[in-house]
Amino acid sequence: MAYRINDLCIGCTLCARNCPVGAVTGAVKQKHKIEEKRCVECSVCANVCAKGAIEKPDGTAAEKLPKDKWRKPVINTARCSACSMCVIACGFSCLEISYPTKPGDLNVFAVLVKPEKCVGCSLCEQACPLGAITMKEGGAK
Amino acid sequence: MILPVYAKINLETGKWEKYPISQELFSKYLGGKSLGARLLTDLTKPGLDCFDPEAVLIVNTGPMNGTGAPSSGRFNMTFKNVLTGGIASSNCGGTFGMLLKKAGFDGLIITGKASELSKIIIEDGEIRIEKCPELAGLNTEEVQEKLPKRYGKLVIGPAGENLVRYALAASGERVAGRCGAGAVMGSKNLKAIIAFGTKNVEKYNPEGFAKHTKKWVDALKKHPMTGSGLPKYGSAGLLSKANASSALPTHNFSKGQYEHAHDISGETLAETKLVRNGGCVSCPIRCERRVKVDGKEVKGPEYETLCLFGSNIDSNDLDLINQINYDADVLGMDTISLGGTIAFAMELQEKGLADFGLKFGCVEDLRKAISDIAYRRGKAGELAEGSKRLSEKYGGKEFAIHSKGLELAAYEPRRSTGMGLGYATSNRGGCHLNGGYLALMESVGVVSMDAQTPKGKPELTVFFQNAMEACSAAGFCLFTMQAIVPPLIFKFGSASFISRAFGKALLLARPVLGKVWNLMPWILPVNMMLMPHSESIKLATGIPMTMGKFVTVGERGYNTERLYNLREGLTCEDDSLPDRLTKVQQDPKRKDTVVDLKTMLPVYYKVRGWDSKGVPTAKRLKKLGIPVPERKEG
Repeated sequence: MAYRINDLCIGCTLCARNCPVGAVTGAVKQKHKIEEKRCVECSVCANVCAKGAIEKPDGTAAEKLPKDKWRKPVINTARCSACSMCVIACGFSCLEISYPTKPGDLNVFAVLVKPEKCVGCSLCEQACPLGAITMKEGGAK
Repeated sequence: MILPVYAKINLETGKWEKYPISQELFSKYLGGKSLGARLLTDLTKPGLDCFDPEAVLIVNTGPMNGTGAPSSGRFNMTFKNVLTGGIASSNCGGTFGMLLKKAGFDGLIITGKASELSKIIIEDGEIRIEKCPELAGLNTEEVQEKLPKRYGKLVIGPAGENLVRYALAASGERVAGRCGAGAVMGSKNLKAIIAFGTKNVEKYNPEGFAKHTKKWVDALKKHPMTGSGLPKYGSAGLLSKANASSALPTHNFSKGQYEHAHDISGETLAETKLVRNGGCVSCPIRCERRVKVDGKEVKGPEYETLCLFGSNIDSNDLDLINQINYDADVLGMDTISLGGTIAFAMELQEKGLADFGLKFGCVEDLRKAISDIAYRRGKAGELAEGSKRLSEKYGGKEFAIHSKGLELAAYEPRRSTGMGLGYATSNRGGCHLNGGYLALMESVGVVSMDAQTPKGKPELTVFFQNAMEACSAAGFCLFTMQAIVPPLIFKFGSASFISRAFGKALLLARPVLGKVWNLMPWILPVNMMLMPHSESIKLATGIPMTMGKFVTVGERGYNTERLYNLREGLTCEDDSLPDRLTKVQQDPKRKDTVVDLKTMLPVYYKVRGWDSKGVPTAKRLKKLGIPVPERKEG
């Protein structure tokens, strides 16, 4: 199952640029296509599409979501083991393992270093083996 | 049960097909090096040269890779050993393994030779081969920069292309170093394999697995070794203890102590050079050193590199070790075999047998020599053949420090005789990890076991060889097993009564242990938190794994590797060490500072259920469910 793009697509490339796994292909001003095998159903394409051209796997139309409503990872630093599964899962290098505050400090954890680049796909949340990441609207407050 | 998906790729025809792995094969061998050994045996003709176009290269994962279980980011490469002619398995913690799985494959079986330098691209369950002449000659760092960013990568450097016998394959900064994996890729004109996919690694019991993983990570974080010692000092932390135990190879394994050991110790590295620690994917231990070389943050040296490019060549230049560690990684060479061969060349020079421009303690031109080796240039280029072949040409076999042709890692076996037995019997040659790693209890760790006695060592070696084999087969890092040592011992230290008592108890249990190992898997029909690996495998795969069955997977793998070695012409004569280690006392006043292989080997064979010539008996093989090979006439 995967998201699909219908004929309302104007080829603005927004979905392709924001897809965290590179599942969307297509030239500018031409209808885009979602690679079924690659799609992770994160709905990021739908969140950015202003034309309502994205269809959910069940065939219903998906609606655009304003950027301030996007969910962002909040990391439970006490639970995080700095294993980097989330760092590798992220398609936009938004997450990094923190630097030790002083030499020999072992208390390091994943940090959302580029929140502005985060598309809210929640791949990091799914990748975390310890459940240390929760996606929250607007991110950490 | 979730069965693994393997692909068989022919580089000559450019075609690939799925290769089915049966439920029986999967349950028996799991994956990684054990399943690799089975497949290599089944898919190759006996006596095939390691560089023959028909030779098989297996790149595979274990069932745990990509599941998020602690320290489960390790994948494996199996092929015919370029240095020994026997089995080779090389383990790496790069992201390639996990991304290969996410791309839909658990393993690749690569045959044939490409007509031009090529790369294999694996995306979302599909495989294609493309020519890549533009990548020729690039080092492992440059080539990975040219390849797509988010892909898992496995590449070779110039050393691999030039068939240096100990060339490595790199994934990110992590490497599959030992046995010449890079040379095998080079011989197939294969510069790189890249993989990307988004498939999640399925788990048989996701809820139970998540719960177990949390518990296990907490245990590792709390344990003094995996939670504090390794993250703080890395494997480099072993160096001071090795020196104190006279087990630090110095001057090409002629001595066990180095007067400037402190300068190259894990403590000095941590205090003066360490930027931070890092880790393989999915690992909470994070033992990797991060240091600066030429202003750039790169991977720092492991214990073995510190010793083999430090004390073993009489140098205390820590900056140079960091630099060489980086040079060797980007040129694409294993630092253990490279360091061992260089020390051997230095001793050849010292004894007037050959001159490669390398001298103990003179390290000014070392970087140039290392580059010459990678490109097989000039006189130093001959070192690309490794110490065994050099000793056959120039003499000095008694101090060519290898077993079966693979250079020994940095543990002086005359001060950890069980490690000596491990090196001699290890299927891939002089390897500490495939050898059972008893050094960790005899001389470099916190357990104070009698390092000199041959008694009890065969029984313990067999157990740890099997357990570590199983650990690798599943895709776990071997360092997860360090948490087996009770935390209490760390509290009181290696000189304490409790540490000595623990070591003594293990040796005294010898008659029991010898029997217990024979009764696997029935003797341990449970899963214990001491070794959580088996429970984790059960929850992830659905295989009804117990601790006993887990160790039996290792025994099965070990015997399969042994049978491959015997098929390829290795014999019990090759279960050996150079004379320096078996005949020359490290301490002239102490008769027991030699490796007494003559006493240990017969016991080892017996505990393994092998005959006096080190051949697995049909009875033992049948019990393990391994096909009994046909005996040759005569």
